[in-house]
Amino acid sequence: MAENKNDINRRHFLRNGLWAACLTGLGAITGALSRKCSAQNLFWQIDPEICIACGNCATYCVLEESAVKCVHAYAMCGYCRICFGFFGPEPHDINDAAENQLCPTGAIIRKYLKDDDPYYEYTIDEPLCMGCGKCVLGCNTFGNGSLFLQVRHDRCLNCNECSIAVACPSGAYKRVPADKPYLLKRADSA
Amino acid sequence: MNKRLGTTNIKILVAVFVAIAIAVIALIRLDTTGKKGSGLGKEFTYDLKNLGKIDPNLILYKGSVRAISTGFTNSRAIALDSKGIIYIAGDKVIRKFAEAGNLLGETHVADMPMCLTIANDDKMYIGFKDHVEVYDGQGKPLATWENLGNDAVLTSIAVSNNDVFVADAGNRIVYRFNTTGKLINRIGGKDKDKNIPGFFVPSPHFDLAVGHDGLLRVANPGNHRIEAYTSEGDLEFSWGKFSNVNINSFCGCCNPVNFAILADESFVTCEKGLIRVKIYDRDGSFAGVVAGSKQLTGKAGRICNIPAECQSRAFDVAVDAHDRIFVLDTTKNIVRIFTKIKEE
Repeated sequence: MAENKNDINRRHFLRNGLWAACLTGLGAITGALSRKCSAQNLFWQIDPEICIACGNCATYCVLEESAVKCVHAYAMCGYCRICFGFFGPEPHDINDAAENQLCPTGAIIRKYLKDDDPYYEYTIDEPLCMGCGKCVLGCNTFGNGSLFLQVRHDRCLNCNECSIAVACPSGAYKRVPADKPYLLKRADSA
Repeated sequence: MNKRLGTTNIKILVAVFVAIAIAVIALIRLDTTGKKGSGLGKEFTYDLKNLGKIDPNLILYKGSVRAISTGFTNSRAIALDSKGIIYIAGDKVIRKFAEAGNLLGETHVADMPMCLTIANDDKMYIGFKDHVEVYDGQGKPLATWENLGNDAVLTSIAVSNNDVFVADAGNRIVYRFNTTGKLINRIGGKDKDKNIPGFFVPSPHFDLAVGHDGLLRVANPGNHRIEAYTSEGDLEFSWGKFSNVNINSFCGCCNPVNFAILADESFVTCEKGLIRVKIYDRDGSFAGVVAGSKQLTGKAGRICNIPAECQSRAFDVAVDAHDRIFVLDTTKNIVRIFTKIKEE
């Protein structure tokens, strides 16, 4: 009597079972890896120690209003009366008049600290900041370098190929882990 | 049939050509230098070239042909002793150089030295972040003075007779010790009754020196001036003002970062931002320029790009008995010697 090809014998059963177990294991490993990869999701960020504040961040972002904004490391700030992150290189006078300011959108607010005369505090009005980095240039050149640019992840679309990263001349754009999305300056790095 | 194939090939070729052309245009338009920048108008260009230009007629000194290479990766301060030996602090070591540039010896220390001075008895007084250490002329440790606290950032030290003056940028104060390390008094704290405004020190550059008239001179960098104090702490007078445009003034947020006093009691000042070394007479009137950015860095105007490069450009300065000026380039870690070329 000839053996029917569709009959399942013990050998076939074991072979198929082994295949099924392998595929299940592979699936489990793939699932675990993909879960791990999603936990290590990467975000774009600017390394402030490499950034040359060229201004490309203001123009190359796919968003109409760049996701890059100025950030202030207060611990590094000198609270200068004459801050060249705030004032242009040739200010007409040392006051808050628009013509004296470096920021093209007036996004830096200068506040006199009356309890700590003659120091001044500088804060960023984020909705006005366009990420041009003019203040960063001024602060790096004359001051302590406490102003720097960062990709704000409440705005960034996290494009697979970030168009600012492609245009960045200094290679300051990096992929950073999503659980540490910012590269902040610290006082001891001054 | 062949005609149809030929037409199709031409269409494909045209499509490929157009695609290549678009790719080339996109590549050309991509600003990989950052020069196009933010797309703002020329009025927003951050350009310091004009500010960095110095009238050649104002330059009174010429630099040595060869600079002294110190071998440091992070040099901090320069001092000279009465014999003209050059001492450089940095990299947890103090190195001694002859004027010709040959290394005469070195003293290893435990921490990064921030400042130093050499007394007439050849003792080295070395300021670290929060304390002072004293070494003899052979580099043997003699004393470690009291710790001045976590906030202390010692940036300058000077010896005069039995007094040792130490500038603390962190606490914005000058300490007067005796030579055994006993604190005598504090100088320069804000005091309305004595009409002392206090030191305004936005960055860790806060220099002092003792004048030939016996008065202590302290840079008040945030106020762009040099102040004269008695050793008891009375403010006698001050000079200096801010301007980024006029070379006779101090530029930037906080200058001068360092200074030294010549035999005729005139001052050699060092500025950061727009790097320049200048001369002021004993009353604080601008006398001329030793060197500007171009002479010191090869570039006029803005001379740094990345933050670390910018922050290391606070050069130190010292003078010898022949009124030669020794400028420590803290970026290239070399010493340039400048001699006077003409009368003012």
